Amino acid sequence: MFWRIFSFELKYRLGRPAGYIYFSILFLFTFTTVIYGGFSPSEKAYANSAYSMSAIILIMTIFSLLISSAVMGVPIYRDLEHRTHTYLFSYPIKERDYLLGRFLGSFVVLIFICLGTQFGFLFGSALGPYLGLEEAERFGPFSLSAYVIPTLIFTLPNMLFTGAIFFALVALTRQVFATYVGSILLFILYLVANTLTADLEYRNLVDLLDPFALNTFNNTTRYWTPEEQNTLIPGLTGNIFWNRLIWLSVSLLILAFVYLRFSFTDFLAVRSGKKSKLKEDTKQVQPSLVTIPSVNTYFTPQVFFRHMIRLARLEFTNIIRDPYFLAIILGGVLFLFLDGWFGSGLIYGTPSFPLTYYMLEAKNGTYIVFVFIIIIFYTGETVHRDKSVHFNQITDALPIPNWVQYGSKFISLVAICFFLATMVWITGITSQTIQGYFNYEFDKYFTDIYLITFPRYLQLLMLAFIVHVLVNSKFLGHFISIGIWLLMFGIRNIAEVDYNLFFYTYRPPYLISDMNGFGHFMSPLFWYNFYWLCLGGIFIILGAIFWNRGTESSRQSRLALAKQRLNRSNIFGLALLGLLFIGSGGYIYYNTNVLNSYSTAKQNRLRAVDYEKKYQQYALLSQPKVTDIKVWVDLYPYQRAVKGKAKMTLVNKTPDSIKELHLDMNSPLNQSQITSITWNGAKMKIKEDDERLKYRIYELPKAMRPGQTVTLKVEIDARNAGFVNSGFSSGVVYNGSFVNLGIFPSFGYNAQRELTSDKYRKKYDLPEKKYVAPPQDDPNGLRNFLFDDDADYVNFDAIVSTSANQTVIAPGYVQKTWEENGRKYFEYKMDKPMLNFFNISSAEYAVSQDTWKNPSGEDVAIEIYHHPTHTYNLDRLNEGVKAALDYCSKYYSPYQFRQMRILEFPRYANFAQSFPNTVPYAESFGWVGDFSDPDDTDYAFHVTAHEVAHQWWAHQVTPSATRGANQISESMAEYSAFMVLKHQYGEESLQKFLKYSLDRYLGGRAQESKFEATLLDNDTRQYVWYSKGGLVLYTLQDYMGEDTLNKAFANFVKEAAFREKPPFATSGEWYEHIKAVTPDSLMYLVEDCFEKITLYENRTVEAEYTKMENGKYRVTMKVDTKKKYYDGLGKETSQGKKADLIEIGIFAADGKNKQGMTRKTPLYVKKHWLTPGQHNLEFIVDKKPEKAGIDPYNKLIDRVPDDNLISVSES
Amino acid sequence: MKLLIKDLSKTYSNGVQALKDVNLSIGNGMFGLLGPNGAGKSSLMRTIATLQEADHGEITFDGINIKQDKQELRKQLGYLPQEFGVYPKITAEAMLVHLAELKGITSKSERKEVVEALLKKVNLWDVRKKRLGTYSGGMKQRFGIAQALLGNPRLIIVDEPTAGLDPAERNRFHNLLSEIGENTIVILSTHIVDDVSTLCHDMAIICKGEVVLRGNPLEIVEQYKGKVWKKIIEKTQIESYRQEYQVISTRLVLGRTLIHIFSEEAPGNGFEAVEADLEDVYFSEISQKMEVITV
Repeated sequence: MFWRIFSFELKYRLGRPAGYIYFSILFLFTFTTVIYGGFSPSEKAYANSAYSMSAIILIMTIFSLLISSAVMGVPIYRDLEHRTHTYLFSYPIKERDYLLGRFLGSFVVLIFICLGTQFGFLFGSALGPYLGLEEAERFGPFSLSAYVIPTLIFTLPNMLFTGAIFFALVALTRQVFATYVGSILLFILYLVANTLTADLEYRNLVDLLDPFALNTFNNTTRYWTPEEQNTLIPGLTGNIFWNRLIWLSVSLLILAFVYLRFSFTDFLAVRSGKKSKLKEDTKQVQPSLVTIPSVNTYFTPQVFFRHMIRLARLEFTNIIRDPYFLAIILGGVLFLFLDGWFGSGLIYGTPSFPLTYYMLEAKNGTYIVFVFIIIIFYTGETVHRDKSVHFNQITDALPIPNWVQYGSKFISLVAICFFLATMVWITGITSQTIQGYFNYEFDKYFTDIYLITFPRYLQLLMLAFIVHVLVNSKFLGHFISIGIWLLMFGIRNIAEVDYNLFFYTYRPPYLISDMNGFGHFMSPLFWYNFYWLCLGGIFIILGAIFWNRGTESSRQSRLALAKQRLNRSNIFGLALLGLLFIGSGGYIYYNTNVLNSYSTAKQNRLRAVDYEKKYQQYALLSQPKVTDIKVWVDLYPYQRAVKGKAKMTLVNKTPDSIKELHLDMNSPLNQSQITSITWNGAKMKIKEDDERLKYRIYELPKAMRPGQTVTLKVEIDARNAGFVNSGFSSGVVYNGSFVNLGIFPSFGYNAQRELTSDKYRKKYDLPEKKYVAPPQDDPNGLRNFLFDDDADYVNFDAIVSTSANQTVIAPGYVQKTWEENGRKYFEYKMDKPMLNFFNISSAEYAVSQDTWKNPSGEDVAIEIYHHPTHTYNLDRLNEGVKAALDYCSKYYSPYQFRQMRILEFPRYANFAQSFPNTVPYAESFGWVGDFSDPDDTDYAFHVTAHEVAHQWWAHQVTPSATRGANQISESMAEYSAFMVLKHQYGEESLQKFLKYSLDRYLGGRAQESKFEATLLDNDTRQYVWYSKGGLVLYTLQDYMGEDTLNKAFANFVKEAAFREKPPFATSGEWYEHIKAVTPDSLMYLVEDCFEKITLYENRTVEAEYTKMENGKYRVTMKVDTKKKYYDGLGKETSQGKKADLIEIGIFAADGKNKQGMTRKTPLYVKKHWLTPGQHNLEFIVDKKPEKAGIDPYNKLIDRVPDDNLISVSES
Repeated sequence: MKLLIKDLSKTYSNGVQALKDVNLSIGNGMFGLLGPNGAGKSSLMRTIATLQEADHGEITFDGINIKQDKQELRKQLGYLPQEFGVYPKITAEAMLVHLAELKGITSKSERKEVVEALLKKVNLWDVRKKRLGTYSGGMKQRFGIAQALLGNPRLIIVDEPTAGLDPAERNRFHNLLSEIGENTIVILSTHIVDDVSTLCHDMAIICKGEVVLRGNPLEIVEQYKGKVWKKIIEKTQIESYRQEYQVISTRLVLGRTLIHIFSEEAPGNGFEAVEADLEDVYFSEISQKMEVITV
């Protein structure tokens, strides 16, 4: 019997088109992904690598939730739906045969459908090299096991899991809607696991909790280098094994439960409602004696209008009382809450205060998925409500006009949208209250939710509405509605077209800032919302015309009906909305394409290609250098404009005579022009003016001789007019402008503008670009500074003005301030040469002041310019400044300025940057962090220390424009910050910082798109200069002593600080100083760290203790150590053979340091010389040990940092 | 007051021609529409009830062209579709009140009164507070009848209303329909011949989309008087009788086969005269269009 049911199920399925459609969708999606380059973040990994295969399979199994619910939900429901259950179950079939047959039959079909992914991958890999969408060399060889293993360990268990759930839901509830809710709940489970991944501490838990094992896979492979991604296949080991075991068991348990519980009688039982409590009227009525009273009926517009409102209210309550709706909205609100709590404000694992904008931004997280689901599904429910209970023939014949029926449904859904929007602020305020934060900014909530977000939800609704009206089949309607969004998403992301005017409901991004409010974003938001609402309105009118009333749904009859319904008023409506739609679209086009310019990612690449091809010839062209610069800059925050004048003294420091001045005309402001430019007072002739590539060449009136000095005066007028398609265009804003030197044109060819991706370079016939910077012995590199090759150190003066209510800040010291014409003026002057690197910031600031005494007893003023309400962390920033000034001036050299200023700018960018005596700091980065939990990473302190250290490492020792030189700036600043932290918090608390650095380094090299360079050579990789550099230098001071290493740095500063003439500082020079202080025994470590790519594989295998008679404890441990060398692509080249010095530590239970932060309590920590391989070690400690391990603080770069320290058990 | 149906034709998009040049003029009182399954009854009913449109022809009710002014017709319409569902979670009373309001009964007290009367009339008063989802098939049908009578309709269309009713309920329903005021047109579609013969003073037989016969049931039967003959034969003989005579119907009686034939004159051969009834007429008419095999 089983076989017959099983094969019937298979045959039935094979005869239906749905399975083939699902298969094709998966096939096409995977095929497209592969031919466009696969999932690897690195260009050096194959598009069809084993890693890519597993990643795609996993992601597709999650997307297949929907398919799984459609396939596995129906095999039993089909009998209910077609009412075949009424007789089928009376046949001599055993329940178990029936269940198993239906389940397995459908499951086999489901697996066949899911293999669409594997086939898509196979065909993509085979055809990819010939289609030319991706370089042929990115397609690696075929490997059978790369297909078979992921299929077995990912596809099968994942589909079994979702299949079992959906099958069980329908078998036990008899409701097909239960599968929708089931898929949503599963999705929630998966996302909950996802929100936890941000914190390193939870990784093991997440690995086990994720039913799809995607997180498990990501965590297992997160440090895989491109080479490893190509060759390794994840196997059933470690957390993947445990995860699969858990979820496979869960699936089987579910199936077993259904198998035991299911019975035909239950399935057939008539569900009678609860017994009515009302006492039944027992009085018998004689029907024939009753006469039907005559009634008055009224059919006036007022009556109809009342009907519409009443029906809308009914629909609305129908929806919100639906238990499934409640389940979904609860899920949504849960995510709104979680995202608001953990989400946007989390930096290095540290939360921010629950500011209103964070609460608002939570709506763009997972909640939007729920909004989509609710809008699409409940639009379907509402539109088809009468039909789905077969009551439509009665309601359609009722004497109410179409607009009452149609309008009521639309209005009820509008109310749902309103409800969804409202939940955002209710959840936000609740969350803020729970967190003890009571600064509810109702104006922000109102503006964002009702003026920006609600219209967008309306737009979503309008599209879903017309689709459901036109398609007239619930399931197909859902499918098409979701399909439209996936299509738009795909086009924007894969085809790289992001022109918002073409993508329904899309609009430019915006950010709310405490400093600048909604700022300049209100105008584009209004116009885009208006534009899309007009289109939505057209949808709604069309929907009314095509509204399906009656029993016929063929295309002809609906067209015929639509023709009848066209009348003057709806034609007028369509025409009016059409005009407004086109009109507002035109206005948007005028802003984004006429006032500003729009280009696609491809056009931008082509521009970079042309720039390089046309002007690279001038890369080494001799240009003068600035020695003195005086600027007059007038900021007009409310006009978003800036007028600037620069008077520069130029010297020809080259041996050549200079005949032309080449200007890079790129400006951070969208409309920028040179209004005047003179050379020693004389006008210059424009030889070439390339508007597209922003390159201009002036002929000098007279050639500039070597050593000659001239005065160049440039005036510019720049503004952000109108609005743009994408990006924040945040240079000059109402409050919190932040512009830099870039508002003035710079000299010569700019290699930064070249295309860096080798994949694209090859496509456009450009040579591979291994490095951006030239080698360390390149004379041109050595004679320029890294940050700006237009000048060495300069004398700087600035007269800056802004609107009367703002303060404007530039490097240097204020000479005087005055008001003139209702504007505020400031004169700044720097009293010694500085880098040609300045910012001009203007906002309504409050100031907090302090002083720091330098070692010679002089006062250094500390000023913190902040947004008036952002006073949370002023002390912390102030402490960071002082601690860093203390440390650096103690160990390196005196601080060169009399003042240090920290200032805040809006959160449109998320960084801090160090200018001479000035550190601008983004609003979201430190100012609003909540550091009340001492165990959270104190990044405000850390980053402040880092930026202050740059006053030495960049502003005193300025790196040359050569390969590796930026390590002098960034690695040194990061190292200094670590050292400041160590003195502040104690070494025992530092592991968390080290581990984050290690994680970023290992993660960074896994995503490398060229090759990993060493500390001496690296020119572009942040993960090398910050994460590896900081960590390695910290380790060196630990191994050789802080004073010893700092001596080397002091020597380096003495030799290289404020160097006026080339050759400027290189990483080689820095390295020589380090080697000079390194003892011979540690030379291997220095070479491993700086010259090579070295990774340890240290692991503690076991650790046990016994209590001895004298009250002490004997600890025995088995540790394993290995050291491997890699090439830049991540391929292992050799292994270390000699003994290395590695720390062994034994710890009691964790304690707290003086700031309340968790610290390790060492019982024994000492470095040992260990040869590669296993070692059995034995120690005696005084107290009861808790944990023990090798390299317990993660000082060495270790591939698997988590297995170093383990719990000690009693033997 | 008259419902005029003129040259009505309808072909569905799948090619099935549901109505062919239907012409009917229906006056006050009960009108029976008789026809086999799939004859086009429901298509005709739905077209009159404004739920679909014909390809050709027009329908006017009391001067209203219903294609052009659907709303006007709906104001006077009571419609009970052949198949319908209910909202399972609402009570019959609440649902009727709701529908009464949509039928334009704006006065609350009138609504209450009429709903109460109808619930009593269809014998649902005792269970008015029960959710519709718990109703049996017959109860649901009675609910459907009640809603069709809301708001003093002047044109009532009931499509197979007695399906699923037990004999007592069916009688009650017949009584109910005949009580409905004289100033009303009631169109009753059915395939049960008895329903028509007991209730209607006017009727039409429709088969394969065409009106094959119309008139007063009594008069129609009168025309068949003396022209219907019966005989009991063996089952195996049916085919040969079919070839020889115009067989109207065959049915089993106590294990043997009883056939009715149509013949202007006495056929002899053991045939006996039989009192013609509407059923004979019905079978005779449709057997000319399609093969009717009841054995």
